[in-house]
Amino acid sequence: MTALAFKLDSPDIFGDDFARHRGELPGAGLAWLEARRRAAMDAFLKTGIPNRRVEAWKYTDLANALASELAPAVRAARQDSEGGIFASVPGARLHLVNGFLEHVTEAAGLEAVDLVELDSDTPEWVSANLGMTAAGRNQPMGAVSLALMRGGVAVRVHEDQTLHLSFANPADDGETVSHARILIVVEDGVSFRLLESHGASSGAFANIGMELVLKRGAKLEHVRVQEGGPNALHVTTLGAQIARDAEYRALYVAMGGRLARLDAEVTLGAPGARATLHNVAALNAGIADTTTVMDHAASNTTSRQLFKSVVGGRGRAVNQGRVAVRAGAVKSDSHQLFKAILLSPTAEADAKPELEIFADDVICGHGTAIGALDEDALFYLRARGIPEHEAKGVLIRAFLEDAIEGFGGDVVHDVIAHRLDAALVTLGEAVP
Amino acid sequence: MNMLEIDDLHVTVDGKEILKGITLSIPAGEVHAVMGPNGSGKSTLSYTLAGRAGYEVTSGHVYYNGEDLTALAPEERAAKGVFLALQYPVEIPGVVTLTFLKTALNAQRRARGEPELDALRTLKLVREKAAALKIGEDMLRRPLNAGFSGGEKKRMEILQMALFEPKLAVLDETDSGLDIDALKLVAEGVNALRSPARAMLVITHYQRLLSYIVPDRVHVLAGGRIVKSGGADLALELEKSGYEGVVEAA
Repeated sequence: MTALAFKLDSPDIFGDDFARHRGELPGAGLAWLEARRRAAMDAFLKTGIPNRRVEAWKYTDLANALASELAPAVRAARQDSEGGIFASVPGARLHLVNGFLEHVTEAAGLEAVDLVELDSDTPEWVSANLGMTAAGRNQPMGAVSLALMRGGVAVRVHEDQTLHLSFANPADDGETVSHARILIVVEDGVSFRLLESHGASSGAFANIGMELVLKRGAKLEHVRVQEGGPNALHVTTLGAQIARDAEYRALYVAMGGRLARLDAEVTLGAPGARATLHNVAALNAGIADTTTVMDHAASNTTSRQLFKSVVGGRGRAVNQGRVAVRAGAVKSDSHQLFKAILLSPTAEADAKPELEIFADDVICGHGTAIGALDEDALFYLRARGIPEHEAKGVLIRAFLEDAIEGFGGDVVHDVIAHRLDAALVTLGEAVP
Repeated sequence: MNMLEIDDLHVTVDGKEILKGITLSIPAGEVHAVMGPNGSGKSTLSYTLAGRAGYEVTSGHVYYNGEDLTALAPEERAAKGVFLALQYPVEIPGVVTLTFLKTALNAQRRARGEPELDALRTLKLVREKAAALKIGEDMLRRPLNAGFSGGEKKRMEILQMALFEPKLAVLDETDSGLDIDALKLVAEGVNALRSPARAMLVITHYQRLLSYIVPDRVHVLAGGRIVKSGGADLALELEKSGYEGVVEAA
């Protein structure tokens, strides 16, 4: 019975696609790429499309959410380069539609390679890195995004720069899928700001694999806003490799969708590597799932993670954070904190911290708090004349503020605050 | 007409009757003190006047300028000029004090149909009132009450009172946790707001505060009832003989 149910939940649509079309995929004939695609497909097939029986996906049943037939998305006829919430921030721009790179604004110190055009002239920094992370067995959707990659972009940064990376998925049915890969290599000592936005989606499944490579002493500040609207089906699998004395600071903002999952694995690969992940979820329907693995693979590495969710209506915020400290990774210092506010009796927040420690002399802390809005604070604001609805908004924004402050500068902060305010208006309506 | 008229007020909290028939009137221009031992119902009275959820009026009336106060939401009471200075002001990390003051001030003005104040005018007004209470710019830029000392929190309550210019101010144990210098500063702030158009209800456990804010009337609250009322000297009498003596004599 179990075996039969598993098969029904997890149709082999991606395996079939690979078997039929692998000779036509970008870079076909490149031995290094074919080998990685094949290995990735094998890794994916060990799990298939994850359902609730896969431990890391127990709160988020992707198999159940996907249609049984999904055709690969094609290039959009109308190539809209507008949109993107960070348009007011100066910097380079890359815009992807249905997983294809459609719009490039070049900038000093930044090289971009369209992954549709992979060939024997592909630079070494692409072939050395593409598919090395976010494609393993424990990240099955990342694996399939590599195996079936039809578009995407690789970026190499050698000077301090800001890049706005925006995604649109205008395909107007629920029966298509786009598999795209993003590779970003930040060279030694470079400070880079990545502003990533995902606009409204009509229901096509966007499956993105993203690799971040931070070389020695590099700094990457990554601000990501996913606001797909009620139909969005979205999975991003992220793999970040942080070299000696390099620092990755990320703010992930999830406004939900039918199902939106970020599966992030950060490897602190050498002493002095640091990572700070802040995740903010605000939704009143569907699922916003951010699942992270923080891999302390070397000594003297530091990680900080803060997950904050505000959930109304029938929304569900899922936050799982696994911290792994490998043997020998002494003086690892990690902390993770999960906080959620539930605004309705039908809202749900799942928080799951996990620790796997194989080294001595480490600091690993974690905490969890899920509750309703603070009644004392709500009364205080109302007693000062602030109407109930507005007072709730003030408290929710205050709750989220320490997660969003300090990322991306004032303009970016204001853009995010504005998006959250807009989301909170809808959340407020869900407050009984 | 009295500004505040409390008539045979019964209030239940979590199914337990705390106020058991309070009758009390305050005309405009007067300051009344309510004193009482722990558990007498002092804070229940203040929360009931401000409209906190969970404080259920089971019988009796509260009239404010002739209007039934208990029918109004807390924010409506505030906009109509009722102010409660809390015994334990709430810490709200993430909300900058100045932003909060502007939001609250304009919410009240909006509710009264008055034009809102822009950021610059609010700032000027707040600075002017803050200076008198020795509240510096840095405190206004910090999150509301977060990490404030006891004295700072109470001064922030009085600053709000000065800013909102209520008609009826209820001060709940404003003296608790204050050293003598902070107490004087807070009392000066309160005294500066005494006016013929304003009524105040000062709730306190100790007589000390009433040496600085001299009341027109003193009421003793015990067991959910006013058991004795008198002039300012009643407070001194309480200080001498304790609540027990007064309650028993009543």
